[in-house]
Amino acid sequence: MTGENYRKSGMLFSGSVRSMKRNKKIADITAFIIIICMSVIVLLPIWWMIRSSLMKSLDIFMRPPPFFPPDWLWSNYNIPPTTFNYFRYLMNTLSIVVPCVVFGTVTAVPCAYAFARLKFKGKNFIFSLCVGSMLLPTMVTLIPLYIVWSNLGFVDTYWPLILPYLCGGGAFNIFLLRQFIMTVPKELDEAAKIDGAGYLRTLVSIIVPSIKSAIIVVALLIFMTTWNDLLQQMVYIHTPKNYTLVLGLTIFFGTFKTDYAGVFAATVLSFIPGVLVYLFGQRYFVEGIVMTGMKN
Amino acid sequence: MSNKPKKSAAVIKEQRAAYIFLIPAFLGLSLITYIPLLAAFGIGFTDLKVGHFMPNTPLAPPRFVGLDNFVNIFKNPSINFQNSIWVTVYFALFAVVSSVIYSLFIAMLLNRKMPGRGFFRSIFYIPYILPAAAVIISWHFLLIYDGGVINHVLVQLGFERSFFLDSKSTVIPTLVLIAVWQCGNLIVIFLAGLQNVPRVYQEAAEIDGASAWRRFWTITIPCMTPIIFYNVLMSLVANLQIVVPALARTRGGPGKATMFMTYMMYQEGFRGGQLGTASAIAAVFFIIAAILAFILFKTSKSWIFYEGGEQK
Amino acid sequence: MKRILAIVLSAVMILAVLAACGNDSASPSGSGATATPAGNNNTAGDSTSSGGGERIEIVFSIWGDPAEQETTQKGLDVYNSMQDKVYVKALQIPNEEYADVLQTMATAGNMPDCGMVNEPTAIGWARQGLLMPIDIYEGQADKPLDYLAFKDGGKTVAYSGANEVLGLWYNRTMFDAAGVDYPPTSLDKAWTWDEFIEVAKQLTFDSNGNTPNDDGFDKNNIVQYGAYVNQWTWQLEVWALSNGGKWFSEDGKSIVFDDAAIEAMQKVVDLHLVHNVAPFNPGTTDSGFGDSVGAGNVAMCTEGQWATGFAGDTDIDYGVAVLPYMKRKANIVTGGPVGVFAGTKYPDEVADFVRWYTDEDNNFGTIEAGWWMPTKMNWYTDEALLKKWIDDVPLRARLPADAYRTAMKDVALDLTVSQSTGWYYTPNTFEIINRVLNPAMVEAINGSKTVAQVIADVRPAMEAALAG
Repeated sequence: MTGENYRKSGMLFSGSVRSMKRNKKIADITAFIIIICMSVIVLLPIWWMIRSSLMKSLDIFMRPPPFFPPDWLWSNYNIPPTTFNYFRYLMNTLSIVVPCVVFGTVTAVPCAYAFARLKFKGKNFIFSLCVGSMLLPTMVTLIPLYIVWSNLGFVDTYWPLILPYLCGGGAFNIFLLRQFIMTVPKELDEAAKIDGAGYLRTLVSIIVPSIKSAIIVVALLIFMTTWNDLLQQMVYIHTPKNYTLVLGLTIFFGTFKTDYAGVFAATVLSFIPGVLVYLFGQRYFVEGIVMTGMKN
Repeated sequence: MSNKPKKSAAVIKEQRAAYIFLIPAFLGLSLITYIPLLAAFGIGFTDLKVGHFMPNTPLAPPRFVGLDNFVNIFKNPSINFQNSIWVTVYFALFAVVSSVIYSLFIAMLLNRKMPGRGFFRSIFYIPYILPAAAVIISWHFLLIYDGGVINHVLVQLGFERSFFLDSKSTVIPTLVLIAVWQCGNLIVIFLAGLQNVPRVYQEAAEIDGASAWRRFWTITIPCMTPIIFYNVLMSLVANLQIVVPALARTRGGPGKATMFMTYMMYQEGFRGGQLGTASAIAAVFFIIAAILAFILFKTSKSWIFYEGGEQK
Repeated sequence: MKRILAIVLSAVMILAVLAACGNDSASPSGSGATATPAGNNNTAGDSTSSGGGERIEIVFSIWGDPAEQETTQKGLDVYNSMQDKVYVKALQIPNEEYADVLQTMATAGNMPDCGMVNEPTAIGWARQGLLMPIDIYEGQADKPLDYLAFKDGGKTVAYSGANEVLGLWYNRTMFDAAGVDYPPTSLDKAWTWDEFIEVAKQLTFDSNGNTPNDDGFDKNNIVQYGAYVNQWTWQLEVWALSNGGKWFSEDGKSIVFDDAAIEAMQKVVDLHLVHNVAPFNPGTTDSGFGDSVGAGNVAMCTEGQWATGFAGDTDIDYGVAVLPYMKRKANIVTGGPVGVFAGTKYPDEVADFVRWYTDEDNNFGTIEAGWWMPTKMNWYTDEALLKKWIDDVPLRARLPADAYRTAMKDVALDLTVSQSTGWYYTPNTFEIINRVLNPAMVEAINGSKTVAQVIADVRPAMEAALAG
């Protein structure tokens, strides 16, 4: 592989450092400009939500559509708790999401490690089973699972939403972590093995630090999937005081009219925690530690 | 696969460790996916309906009907599943290619040093965290033919208006656009992947005077192949399951252009109570997804570069 | 670190095993024939019934926005406090997903005892045995209007909880500004379709103030439209009837969609395509009034009686008139039924409750809010009752009341004009209308096909859907 050649070529010095730096600067500025332009496009629908959340529901249909709200109705955000009990729904959502993230991540890592590094009988078969389970919409298993959970008396509790994550949290995450572990140079494990480390210690002391960014990503993915899982939450949660944020949003769709301003205001409120969690998580990929190249 | 012929104690130990590591995840997978799945597939060979679960139903007891459901979903013009397969695969492939290219491009840019990098990274992530129903409503207002801001701008600039979601020829590209806009998760995964591209290679190549373009193709891409592969697979699976835009806005139309497979499954199973038919659709869906995934895995061996050196 | 991880891992495994055992013991699950009546998982933990011990709880499922839910809850509170045998608990499910959630619950024998039903699924549910065939008004003096009964093979399976006819809603300010007379409010003066188009033209303006009658009219820059005919597909049936056509045979056993029906639907679509008096409206979302007159950029729109309820939300000064007609004066009625679900353990108590709940005196809040019209005949004939729900309700009085009486009440009573929508007597209307016809019609609405071509395309699919 080409990477190999570069590694061997090591510190060979050639080319003009100054022109390289100048080129790099031009590239940085170009990248910055492209990102600004793309951000504007990406933000447009988000801006549309925000500006619509500050208008009267029926004004959202105005022709031609105003880019800024005619009056900035901040009062739309003052949603009475009887309609959309933000803090209660937020706590409810977190009490589903947090256990899912913690257990889903913790159980996925060793499994991914086994697939990526260990040799064992039936690996291909088990791995195909794992991949196969990703190929199905949750809808397929929804009814059989509902029958099981309801016979266990778990309807209108959070258990049907949390329990699946106590054990692996889905093949996607296992597969993602496996892919990342595969990008970690094997020499590192072997060095640990020579030092007498067992599998668990290799996993904890070598693999986990090397794929820290991937683990954060998996946590973020589990966070968002469980956060937005309307279909399952709707089927299992029936009492309004147990509602989650996405379930709470459905209240704005009435039989005869939809309170669009309300939908958008509540949507904006309910994506803020997601943004905060992301901001918290992302410093791990900014500072992602590159373990490679310790040898040679 | 096993290139060690004799079973040493070390091999046994390794196997044991592997199985222990696999247990928690597999307990979950088998109980929450495989067993219900087998049940669901079994139902595909019966004429089970929701009504059968009711006491005193006027329906005759459910019967084993062999392959009838599988024939019916293709022959019955109100299901017309061959159309669903075609529109779903068309959408999914289009969306996968576009989102993976877009997200890799954005991730590469966001991986550079720039002012406010954290801020920009979150902007591209926000679309992914929005609830699906709010997303489709927001886009609806942007795209509507009369009174949508995008068409309003097009008219002001002297262009023809577009029907976007309301014409057979533009609906799929428009949904692809929305899917691409929403693929913040792929960007995040690529960003994480880029942290794992060994910096020494980059530096060595830079010092060698390799152009940025060449470095991209010879270092970044090869090192990223496992992650690209994952994102392609994940994006493929997610896009094959597209259902919300059809449920909330296009209702399968215009014409039959967005009668996606999962939408038909939903319509038959959850709206019509035809559990047998819906399960047959699920089985066919699974076969199609499996074929596409199989092709992806088969070809992957030739283009994935695992730093760890181990090929599957 | 290692130790903590080991502890966590083993804890997880134990939990997983526990969950597994639970699963195994109950997993014959969906595998085929087992009809599981499964009993009462309805106990949701926080039932306020408490104390009494013998008080039975029945679950009543509803959809609706906070205001509607509050009104319903108030009604239930009254019922719960006026007797101590039955406690009724509301189960709120979003409207869009209502049928899906109930069907999922049905598979586990977990259905509520009674509740609202989506109109297009009512007959299908009855046929599958989800709805009990009941006639709760047997032997009662005051019965709902006959067209509000959902009937399958002559058997009533549910009654609409509300009555809704269609009307023409118009923005007075726009009519005044253009100097055009308000639309007629009584059937005998109803506009013909062509008169309707002419008036719509006078009320349509581009950004230069030109109407479609003027030279230089710019159809790409229309700022005010004259007309908006709701194209949310089921409402198109009224135009088929108005043109002397039909969608369904009277026995509900076959698909008709004759030439007159097709011609009528084409006329509606042409309001936008040919006459440029209507905005493009794909008809795939139910936003009629809110998207047109309610948004302040359309002068007239067709919408159900429920548009009365919007007056509380908008400053727009609007009135109600009768629908224009093509060949004969026609209207369709609808209204979400309240059904008793099979599997309830207390059919008598549930029937008592449903009878109480569908009584106008007890759900008057929703009538007063403008969303519903009464269902029982005496509310349309007894002057004291008429005064109560029309003249004394501010939302109706401002339309004004006498216009409302002729344009809504009289129309609802005139059985030569008003008739049940297809889903009162045709099975699988959800599949026929919402799943097959609605998406197909978009191609006629955007002008890429004629209505005739669309109907020819989907006729086999509609027939297959009707057969189930």
